[in-house]
Amino acid sequence: MTAATVGSREKQSPESGVDLWLRLVMIWHVILGLGSLGGIAYVWAGADLADWVKILVSVALGLTAVASIVAVNDINGRKHRGRTISLAVNYLGFLVAFFGSLHRIGVFTGIDSLADSFLQGLPFLILVFAGFFIGTLTDRYQKPATQRALKQTSKAMMIVAGIAFLLAVGIHNGILVLLGKLTNPVILLMVVVTAVFGLMLWAMWRQPSAEAMNATNADNEMLSGYLFLSPNLLGFLFFFAGPLLLSLYVSFTNWDAFGTKDWVGLANYGRIVNIDVARLNTITQLASEAIDVTVYDELTRFEIFGKSYIVGAQDKLFWLSLRNTLTFVLLSVPLSVIPALFLSNLLNSKIAGMKFFRAVYFLPSVAAVVGIALVWQWLFNATIGYINYFITVMVDFLNSVGGSFFDPQIRWLSDSNTALLAVVIVAAWQWMGFNTVLFLAGLQNIPRSLYEAATVDGANSWQQFWKVTLPLLAPTTFFVITTTTIQAMQIFEQVFILIPTNPAGPNNSTLTLVLYLYQKGFQRFEQGYASAIAWVLFVIIFGATLFQFQRQRASGSSYDA
Amino acid sequence: MKSYRLTETLKKFLIYAVLIIFAFVMIFPFLYMLTTSFKLPKDTFRYPPRLLPRDALTMEVAGFDDPLPLYYVTVDGREEQFVLIESNIRTGVYADPNNPDVTVELPVSEVEPRGGFTNQEAITVAGEEQKLWDVLVNGEIVPMIQVSQTALGRFADPNDLSREVLQNVRLSQPVEELSAHPQNYNEVVDLQGMDRSLSNTALVTILVVSGQLITSILGGYAFARLRFPGRDKLFVVYLGTIMIPFVVLITPLYQLMVTIGWVDKLAALIVPWIFTAYGTFLMRQFFITIPKEIEEAALIDGASRLEILLRIFIPASTPALATLATFTFLYAWNSFFWPLVVINTGNVENHVLTLSLNVLRGRASDSPNLILAGAAIAILPPMIIFIFGQRFFVESATSSGVKG
Repeated sequence: MTAATVGSREKQSPESGVDLWLRLVMIWHVILGLGSLGGIAYVWAGADLADWVKILVSVALGLTAVASIVAVNDINGRKHRGRTISLAVNYLGFLVAFFGSLHRIGVFTGIDSLADSFLQGLPFLILVFAGFFIGTLTDRYQKPATQRALKQTSKAMMIVAGIAFLLAVGIHNGILVLLGKLTNPVILLMVVVTAVFGLMLWAMWRQPSAEAMNATNADNEMLSGYLFLSPNLLGFLFFFAGPLLLSLYVSFTNWDAFGTKDWVGLANYGRIVNIDVARLNTITQLASEAIDVTVYDELTRFEIFGKSYIVGAQDKLFWLSLRNTLTFVLLSVPLSVIPALFLSNLLNSKIAGMKFFRAVYFLPSVAAVVGIALVWQWLFNATIGYINYFITVMVDFLNSVGGSFFDPQIRWLSDSNTALLAVVIVAAWQWMGFNTVLFLAGLQNIPRSLYEAATVDGANSWQQFWKVTLPLLAPTTFFVITTTTIQAMQIFEQVFILIPTNPAGPNNSTLTLVLYLYQKGFQRFEQGYASAIAWVLFVIIFGATLFQFQRQRASGSSYDA
Repeated sequence: MKSYRLTETLKKFLIYAVLIIFAFVMIFPFLYMLTTSFKLPKDTFRYPPRLLPRDALTMEVAGFDDPLPLYYVTVDGREEQFVLIESNIRTGVYADPNNPDVTVELPVSEVEPRGGFTNQEAITVAGEEQKLWDVLVNGEIVPMIQVSQTALGRFADPNDLSREVLQNVRLSQPVEELSAHPQNYNEVVDLQGMDRSLSNTALVTILVVSGQLITSILGGYAFARLRFPGRDKLFVVYLGTIMIPFVVLITPLYQLMVTIGWVDKLAALIVPWIFTAYGTFLMRQFFITIPKEIEEAALIDGASRLEILLRIFIPASTPALATLATFTFLYAWNSFFWPLVVINTGNVENHVLTLSLNVLRGRASDSPNLILAGAAIAILPPMIIFIFGQRFFVESATSSGVKG
């Protein structure tokens, strides 16, 4: 063996215990392999499961069986690959058994009952955090005695408050309930299996086994790497990557979330993009004379070069929602980016109170969209709302100095011309401050010396802004525009809360893509179709980002030249 | 030189003016929310709107069981405070047929038909026959016609009830004083179970934040410091998924929740949000800036990877951790779409604050004071934390900039 063995601090004397443990692990793998094969047989013989579940379980068990056989062989030959495989199999088995047990015992659904008593424990929990905070203060003091005192106080506080918290939320009752569940034989078996997996994991992981299996430093680092990454990676696969693939699959089916799930191919996508354009003799001609109205709904008609056309769509609401979403993006992105750019430049001009203003501007992005939308709903109220009141005051003032304006008394939320605008105002108001903070951070990265040089060259502030600030701020600007656009494309919560009774708004004027997706998927339960809409939205977002990225690149290179 | 200083001052002044105007725009909705949440329902529907909550004053008057409301009344050119003792008095507006511009307002009950009920006299005015009434004007009975009818209130001097004035109640200015009704908050808590929602939200938020910190620290460390096959490819995959919008996931994730039986359960709001590519990415970016030498020295001293992570990396990355924590906190506390999908509207027990607000919006649609008190309950906790940890909020905003 050329590779150096790890474990400088362990005694090098061969332990007879190691061989015994390794033999135990091999026996366990034999049992596991045979058990897996038996499991496959059981699944196909008698279990009442859906086909895809059978296939999935069989593949998992089959892999376990194969891996176990390889592991036994390798462990026997003291090849390190055997340790890796054994650890992987036992680790995954441990996790499955562990979380399976927790699931069966009802720990996850039991969180609900924790919420009952959680408020009583909250003060103690805050004390725990306070204790932690005291602990972080230690490096501010030089004296070792002060440091030690602080550390001890912090520790004692965290322990006492932690125990008090657990007692306050009633952990003792919870434990009793859980122990009571162990009398159930299935659960007990699962717990025992978990313990066996854990034991085997420990037997293989520990230092003497590593030495006996000729582990190199690189081997150990690799194992640590996967171990550290595993919580994140497995959760990510289970709750993100898996569902993502499922979503793509579902978009090719007509799933209604309960029973039927038939493969329909591209039909969902076809229905979304299916439009028909036809010539009209006159602009006022009946739609039924030009397009097949059993399939298409009239979307719009237009005149170009003196000829009239009509556009029909199979899913008219999709196109309406697309139009509304794009309108929203085109209005809300400039409205939340340009003032932010302006404000950040003002804030960056070395004035006192910059931090105060920055905090104030940031405030809206801290608050829940739902809460904010409720507040604005009343501000937009047509009769008693402040917005119309301010407009009235303004109009009266202008009229008093000689203007002749008409007070519009806008019915913001129930007029199809203004409902979307109201949503734009709320969104721009909320995003503006956030963007200001981003721009300000970008501005503070621009070296002062550049401005000084520009001043020496005789550039005024306006020229400085266009020739120095804007080009150097381009990466930030790109980032701000991209993220705001992505956010705006997915506008949902603001619309859902702000527009009373029916969030689609008067004449569907505030029906956005995500709102339409929500209505299709979770009110009509056409989940296959909803998934297809989601992917179309993703493609649009992706396209928009790519477009901006290209432009950023193009403009970036022109500055280099 | 002097004119230069003048323009500088003027410029400063303009900058501050703009900044203050925008600050007002940003703060005003919150101000409106807070003040309205302390108002009485009647006060919220007043036009023109007023920011501060006010109560109409009342006064105990001998001879009346209930306290009487006070109004401003103008008597003989002087403004006085009178109590309203009777409202909705049917009142006629009477005028001399020869001089219809001068009118007298009197309760209908105090006016007698001229010539008696059975045989009332009439007069023709402008081609129309009008009945004549005996109206007492300055102690003299004058025959007059009725021009119109209204309903007025009878106001009296609380110290001398015989001094009476008839006046339109709706157009009268009530005597008011500033007040606050914090009981709105109790009411909304009882109405919508906001205490349970608050508890749910706090629990969900704390578990999501701590869970995400743990998985992100571990994953970030693995990506930053440990070499294993496939690490860089995996990292690219992680990066790529950051920009996938959540809406793509919502349908299948809901299906997954149905399969494991977590629909309507708080677990559905917690567990899927513990594992994020973004947090892992953020921690990795921070960890690679920590010098390798410290770690190598510790390794030679025989420290395990976990010890190194706990003793060296975590203490060194408190700012990054706080940043990630604030980011996650805001996300978990304010999230609405996913709870809306996965927690049934009927299952009020497991509603988080945003869901409660959504229901409250419909239930209390006629009491803005209650709705905005509910909104304040949801909005204020993050704001209070923001005031204390402003730095980390700003950093969490700007650190997302590394994505670009």
